[in-house]
Amino acid sequence: MAQVENPARERILARIRAATRSVPSSRTAPDARPIFAPVSGPLERFRAECAANATECIVVETASERGRALADLLGGIPEGEIFAQDSPKVRRALALSGTRQIRWSSEGAPSENSQAGVTLAEALVAQTGSVVVSTACGGRGASLVPPVHIVLADTSQLAPDLPAAMETIRRNGTLMACSSVCVITGPSRTADIEKILVLGAHGPRRLVVLISRESD
Amino acid sequence: MNAAAEAFLREAAATAANGELHQIVRKGVEHYDAAVERGRARFLDWEAARQRCRKIKREAIDRLDLYLEEFERRVNERGGHVFWAETAEDACRYVTDLAARAGVRTVVKSKSMVSEEIRLNAALETRGIKVWETDLGEFIVQLREEPPFHIVTPAMHLTRRQIAALFREKLGGVQTEDPQELTAVARRELRRAFFSAEMGVTGANFLVADSGAIAITTNEGNARLCSSLPRIHVAIAGIEKVIPRAEDLALLWPVLATAGTGQAITCYNTLVTGPRTASEPDGPEEFHVVLLDNGRSRLLADPEQREVLHCIRCGACLNACPVFRTIGGHAYGTIYSGPIGSVLTPHLRGLAEFQHLSFASSLCGACAVVCPVKIDLPRHLLQNRRNAIAAGLRPAQERTGFRLWRWAMENDRRFTMFGWAARFGWKMARRAGLAGTALDPARRWTKAREMPEIPRHSFRALWRKTHGAG
Repeated sequence: MAQVENPARERILARIRAATRSVPSSRTAPDARPIFAPVSGPLERFRAECAANATECIVVETASERGRALADLLGGIPEGEIFAQDSPKVRRALALSGTRQIRWSSEGAPSENSQAGVTLAEALVAQTGSVVVSTACGGRGASLVPPVHIVLADTSQLAPDLPAAMETIRRNGTLMACSSVCVITGPSRTADIEKILVLGAHGPRRLVVLISRESD
Repeated sequence: MNAAAEAFLREAAATAANGELHQIVRKGVEHYDAAVERGRARFLDWEAARQRCRKIKREAIDRLDLYLEEFERRVNERGGHVFWAETAEDACRYVTDLAARAGVRTVVKSKSMVSEEIRLNAALETRGIKVWETDLGEFIVQLREEPPFHIVTPAMHLTRRQIAALFREKLGGVQTEDPQELTAVARRELRRAFFSAEMGVTGANFLVADSGAIAITTNEGNARLCSSLPRIHVAIAGIEKVIPRAEDLALLWPVLATAGTGQAITCYNTLVTGPRTASEPDGPEEFHVVLLDNGRSRLLADPEQREVLHCIRCGACLNACPVFRTIGGHAYGTIYSGPIGSVLTPHLRGLAEFQHLSFASSLCGACAVVCPVKIDLPRHLLQNRRNAIAAGLRPAQERTGFRLWRWAMENDRRFTMFGWAARFGWKMARRAGLAGTALDPARRWTKAREMPEIPRHSFRALWRKTHGAG
């Protein structure tokens, strides 16, 4: 795209500089007061938060049990395309799901009538019962377009709280490598009509997290 | 009085007497209050959270040029475009020109108060482009062809019956009044729009300098669809939205959610750093950020009121405000309503036309108590009042009245005399049957309220009687 002329840039910046020139430095001593109580027992906390925010959380022992849980789950989902992040872990898990029609993220975006999206996560957040996904988890639409989003994770991915999750993202360079990252907390919702909670406004109606205690 | 002030008084009087509206607004606010109480209980130290959020915003606002340049550099590095707009017209022109160049026929939009501020929808529509508001509340008010009632809950003034009737009229075939089913109707309608639109427009809750990312918070997921499906994504944000670091979001996200709706954290907190990369299966090919000034740098130059730019648009001050609760969001006649709107609008659209809003307050201070970034809103209302008076924007009789009042208050004798004259005058007016009529000097008060009976003796007379003359 051709560069658009933008003479306003210098004018705006000049006004900002003139306006803030005389602002005294606001550096104050760092405030060490804790804002949230520390999270103890991340897995229990994660499950409790999921129960509160309408995420379905299933905890199993091994990766292969997780695959079987996924197969059970998909058995209850209507016929049609399953969109899945193309990664060895997801391929291994879906190998147990028999004859479902699968569209892999390496083949493009999910179609409008995908029945479920299956992805991995960058991290889980115990404090809020959140799942952190990036575009590396099957793209932007995988966790958004299908009516059900299924996340395959393990307990090693549990961050106790949001600062720890953001630190994981930073350490892994996720924001450098991916064009989008999303912290997802429960299925899509709205309360715009008389403040009554309705799930599945525009995004998935169901969010299911399958966690194995063993990493794979 | 100018047209805006006259319209404000007329609309405020009308909504203040609208019992049905009060009921629905009260229901909404009570629901919100209860949720916020639960939300705050999740914090060990809510006060410390507010202080730290204030500090984050202050750090960014005090060095706004550095953080904006850092943000811009990083967006450019990732293949995005940043456009700086001095005015609403500049911002609209950039977006409409972009849409025209790319042959855009349909735009899907997620909730953005800045897009309301610049009247983007009208600008796009005059170029023949169809615009879909996709937040459910915004979709509803767009169908009603009215502005949002509240900056967070745009349709809080409507009952499900009204919404059902609206859908029946505008969308056809809707037989239900059930919120679940009404939401499903909107979802089906808007899915078609999402998959056919060539451009998605969103706001941004935060611009993250150290990552070159925009952060968007929604519950419905509509902003994610707007920024994922169409070929072009345009984000519009005020220049004050920048924050220094991505890690700041670990606090700002839960605080925004708690103050905005009482949730622990909003359902989707999305960061976008650019267009899709070569290895990604989907996402837009173009990513544009429009940085809007539109009066903000002028406000920044006001050392007394600079902190108004810390606002994160959570809507808490609206919900807490007895004036907002009584007159509702539309009576203000401004895009931003409630305490923050009364403080901010004179800076964005001129003191002469909007100073009256700063006088429509009892200065009870509830807004400052709930503000998650600790903006001292009552002080700013007072400063706007002072500035309006200094600029000679108030009516002459108000100035004369206050001079007279000060003159009377300065001297014991005069005070006694004025007190007596007022009591006597009021008694005479009552006896003559003037109370509540057009000739009543206190008509502003008495046309909607009973005037209390004036007691036989003044307070000073009673005091002298019981405590002596000392």
